[in-house]
Amino acid sequence: MATYREASLPTGKFIDPTPAPAESAHPEVGATSAPLKSAAFFIGAYCKDYNEDFMLCKNENNDPAHCLKEGRKVTRCAMDLITKLRENCEKEWEAHYTCLEKHNQEYYACRKPERTLNECVFSKLKLEKVIPEASGTPIHLREKTIYN
Amino acid sequence: MSAPAPQQELPRPGGFPEIRYKRYVPKIGPSGLVLFSGITLMCTLGLIRVGQGNLERRELEREKVWSRIHLIPMLQAEADRDTYRRELAAKEREAEIMKDVKGWKAGESVYNSDRYTTKSYVVVP
Repeated sequence: MATYREASLPTGKFIDPTPAPAESAHPEVGATSAPLKSAAFFIGAYCKDYNEDFMLCKNENNDPAHCLKEGRKVTRCAMDLITKLRENCEKEWEAHYTCLEKHNQEYYACRKPERTLNECVFSKLKLEKVIPEASGTPIHLREKTIYN
Repeated sequence: MSAPAPQQELPRPGGFPEIRYKRYVPKIGPSGLVLFSGITLMCTLGLIRVGQGNLERRELEREKVWSRIHLIPMLQAEADRDTYRRELAAKEREAEIMKDVKGWKAGESVYNSDRYTTKSYVVVP
């Protein structure tokens, strides 16, 4: 993979002002890293089919033009989940991601708000946080931990 | 004339007093065995806890990595749309700049292959 270099002009950084062509135009999720990290496992559970389809498509061909349709589905699914989270568990979600913001985005520092969020999401959206290949009790369910 | 009988040299009557070669300091603190076993116990418990912490850190790492894996498709889709837009714009600019050169194909790959490669340069206006 080629390294990423920013296009610099003598007048400053080059930002391409060209609007997106009609076939690829789509609104973006627009969430910052902490809310995304907080919702990551729910996005993974809720959008599993779309995500896997997209990654298989990318595996087929790395050209950005090749998987635009699948990519739009992935983004729509993530946006859909975020709207649902906002509708159902906004308070708990906000508590968790503000905690992540304050604690260097480490999950282990924010188990309490995470548990309330997981309960809320499970009762309202029927989505569960599952860590694949975890050994023993999954780390987010352990009561006694060394790192906390 | 007879010589006096030889006389062996003997300790003084009552014997010599004891020579003080030892330091008479009272023994304080726990014995060596207690210290040694105590330190061994402490090290063992500490190492056990380090081992448990290592196992737990592995699980934390797994959790972090999976959270990123779940987010990759969404972030990649967003990046792809942006790259696609910028590449199309760069291609159009290149066509505009090179329109007078005969046989110039804008956006042509430098490799003799159909495989997609990230562009090594950007055409800026």
